[in-house]
Amino acid sequence: MCGIAGLHLLDPALRERLGSMVTGMLRGVAERGPDSAGVAIHDTGGLRVRKEVGDPLAFADRIDLAGQAGSRALAHTRMATESAVTAAHCHPFVAGTAPAADASLARPGALPLGGTQLCLVHNGSFANHATIRRRLAAAGVMTETDNDSEVAACYLATRLGAGDDLATALRRLTATFDGFFTLAVTTADSFAVVRDPIGAKPAIIAETDQWVAVVSEYRALLGLPGLADARVYEPEPEEVYLWAS
Amino acid sequence: MPRYDAMGDDAFDASPAHHTFGPPVIAGIRERAELGRYPIRGWGARRAVPDFDDLLLLTASASRYPLEGYRERCDTRTVLGGRRAGRPVVLDIPITIAGMSFGSLSANAKEALGRAASLVGTSTTTGDGGMTPEERSASRTLVYQCLPSRYGFNPVDLRAADAVEIVLGQGAKPGGGGMLLGQKVGARVAGMRTLPEGVDQRSASRHPDWTGPDDLKIKIEEIREATDWQVPVYVKIGATRVDHDVRLAVAAGADVVVVDGMQGGTGATQDAFIEHTGIPTLAAVRLAADALADLDLTGDVGLIISGGIRTGADVAKALALGADAVSLGVAPLIALGCNAPTYRLPAAGEAHADVGAGSEVDVRAEYTALGTAPGHCTHCHTGRCPVGVTTQDDALAARLDPALGARRVANYLRALAMETTMLARACGKSDVHRLEPEDLVALTVEAAAMARVPLAGTDWIPGR
Amino acid sequence: MGELIMAVRGPDGTGPDGTGSPEGADDIEFDLAVMSTRHVNAALRALPDGARARVVNPAGRHNLAVGLSRAIRVRIAGPAGYYVGGLSAAADVDVDGPAGWGVGENLMSGTVRVRGAASQSAAASAHGGLVVVEGDASLRAGISLKGGRLAVAGDVGRYCAFLAQAGTILVGGDAGEALGDSLYEAVIYVAGRVRSLGTDARVEDLTEADVAAVRALAADAGFDHVDPQNVTRVASARSLYHFDTAQHAAY
Repeated sequence: MCGIAGLHLLDPALRERLGSMVTGMLRGVAERGPDSAGVAIHDTGGLRVRKEVGDPLAFADRIDLAGQAGSRALAHTRMATESAVTAAHCHPFVAGTAPAADASLARPGALPLGGTQLCLVHNGSFANHATIRRRLAAAGVMTETDNDSEVAACYLATRLGAGDDLATALRRLTATFDGFFTLAVTTADSFAVVRDPIGAKPAIIAETDQWVAVVSEYRALLGLPGLADARVYEPEPEEVYLWAS
Repeated sequence: MPRYDAMGDDAFDASPAHHTFGPPVIAGIRERAELGRYPIRGWGARRAVPDFDDLLLLTASASRYPLEGYRERCDTRTVLGGRRAGRPVVLDIPITIAGMSFGSLSANAKEALGRAASLVGTSTTTGDGGMTPEERSASRTLVYQCLPSRYGFNPVDLRAADAVEIVLGQGAKPGGGGMLLGQKVGARVAGMRTLPEGVDQRSASRHPDWTGPDDLKIKIEEIREATDWQVPVYVKIGATRVDHDVRLAVAAGADVVVVDGMQGGTGATQDAFIEHTGIPTLAAVRLAADALADLDLTGDVGLIISGGIRTGADVAKALALGADAVSLGVAPLIALGCNAPTYRLPAAGEAHADVGAGSEVDVRAEYTALGTAPGHCTHCHTGRCPVGVTTQDDALAARLDPALGARRVANYLRALAMETTMLARACGKSDVHRLEPEDLVALTVEAAAMARVPLAGTDWIPGR
Repeated sequence: MGELIMAVRGPDGTGPDGTGSPEGADDIEFDLAVMSTRHVNAALRALPDGARARVVNPAGRHNLAVGLSRAIRVRIAGPAGYYVGGLSAAADVDVDGPAGWGVGENLMSGTVRVRGAASQSAAASAHGGLVVVEGDASLRAGISLKGGRLAVAGDVGRYCAFLAQAGTILVGGDAGEALGDSLYEAVIYVAGRVRSLGTDARVEDLTEADVAAVRALAADAGFDHVDPQNVTRVASARSLYHFDTAQHAAY
């Protein structure tokens, strides 16, 4: 159980401000997840992920989140439900293979040229992740922790590896996973949001020409530039919302 | 091994009942075949599960000295919710009365329980359906439940309460909602619940305005705001994933966690829920106490245990395993007269019946008409309670005199408290809250594993 | 309460006792940038009948104007979080912005108005009073409603009026899936489209009494885009009121 915040920039001019925007968003969801926090930032140089146990705001200061540039980010504050409070159990969870450093060296047909790497944050709790974890393990995909959300990340990466696009993989996830979830997912080029059929956990999307954001609570949007003119709405249950750059 | 093929018809009477398809199973299949739905009944799990009878207290002898039974002090005072609330709940004894609804119980029964709790200085609890004025005025300390249905829940009664208990689930049906069959949804009950009279009421199993501990935290803050941060907020869970759930209740801001084991009763629930969900109270108490200890909140966050508590020995053992208090539902109903073959008609001209006075009216035929008998009845759901406890029928309800009922329940609770202090004194404790797990041993390997105390005569705790 | 007194001020700095000023000018102001939610709520509860208050810098905080019981007017100058105006009676609470989950939950009387969108479970379990949402309301609006009225100018999401027991819901726009699932005696009027009905909900003919009820509710809500003659009435088919083996899938 947690707070989530995701930001996807459409206007590259905001790159340098990504970290400060996400810091404000993290502050807005900090009370929802006092145990630990994590962020993932996609930048031209690749993916940076930091996770730590403890107060989310102190964490943001420590890693100088406000000073970081990038094109898209996920942030998460955690109130652990069933698995331990450790850095490894923090979100975002990263799964899949990174894009090949030199795309020309990637083995054609083996994996998407962009890789299957994705980041995932989750608010809610799954009810049948143990079975899916076992199925993944039987197929050779091992999770690193006993966290339920990590299973979803591994599941999605496996589906991307099998040729699904992200929207298809997310639709398959909603049909496969039981339980309550608002998920935000990023890849090297996309940003997506999906909720369980009941819509048990909160989610608010705000969109402008410059950025797209998803947050658990409205107050996490308050510092974003141009919010007054943003289209603000709550995602429909089961529907996949996806933006690609 | 009996050889059925070689036996005549007469031999079947002497043959052992079939285990897989024994008489109760056959009856259950027939009932489902006739109703086309699940069997519903009252009370908690019938089946035998490891319980407090499987533990023994190591009272004092040479290495430790007992306190004198009737002379030396043994405190029973219990404070709940002192961490955040302006007015913590202060009880004279660590034995409370659990939430049971007006609807499930008659107004007389609710009033009697409230009076009894007040007589012995403890708390009673509302239920699904709200607070009745009789119950409020009869109860010195009244805990007000906030349930998924929110039937009868309102800010006026909220502010009149001495504590608020947010119910996530109960031991008889963790994960399930309340149920009250149409025959008990009379005019007053229906009015309090804003329901049409006579509906088979099936309540929600999730709260309408929050899901999960992160949002529960905000809900608890709302309740605190509406009560000016004065009264403790309890969170009640049905015992399943107790370690996680206790931690999350604490993370959400609970002052007191109430953990109801699978033997906990109900007024009406699907039999499948009652017998096949949750964990025994014995296992739950240790898990809950350990979770609080791990959070370093023992004593700061109160722990109330319920589900099948019957005797002072049960109370003493629950406290030794880490409970701050226990809560009783079925047992006080039995003290009121539940399952008795008779009810008592007060003597003529007697304003308030004395426990021993009046005349007994035999109602065994009414139990028979319900298809049961005194000592076996769990037909609370029918509303035809022959002794007036779990009914909304005016004539039946009148069989329970609130004053007499209150005295009987108060006597019972006093006896429990005396048994508890007697055992605590024998363990050398001047306060019942100083009982500890090391005062216990287990009779069975199962109980030893669940309670994490050694098997009697050994130093072996399974799994340690 | 020293902190509280210092933070309470009239707009002209004269204190909270000014009278006879034009609309809004005599509001007592509470600033959440310097006061805690707890202090603001305690101060609001201490106001006498007829008082007017303005709460500034709410910044989406939860549990604002909760547990009010006097006939006061509270204007929240910005977005509010969960349960704004919840567990209240007699007061009029106005939110200048969107509101979070459970706006006006368990309302007994009075009004809670949201000049924006409302998140999930608007007016949940409200026993009385009126909750007005000038924008859209998301999932489970009017869940387990117990006699209150809910008016939503825009659309409502899925599961609107789930288990609603009594009261009236007016939807000025469209209603999402499973409208009125497991409905008891509450009645829903939808001006726009109904995507789908929930179990045991059905469309019923509009009577003169319905038209009058819709007209009154639209007027109280200040909606001028709803034609009372042209709404869909949804109410309970009452087929789940009693156990029925043919309905087993609905249990």
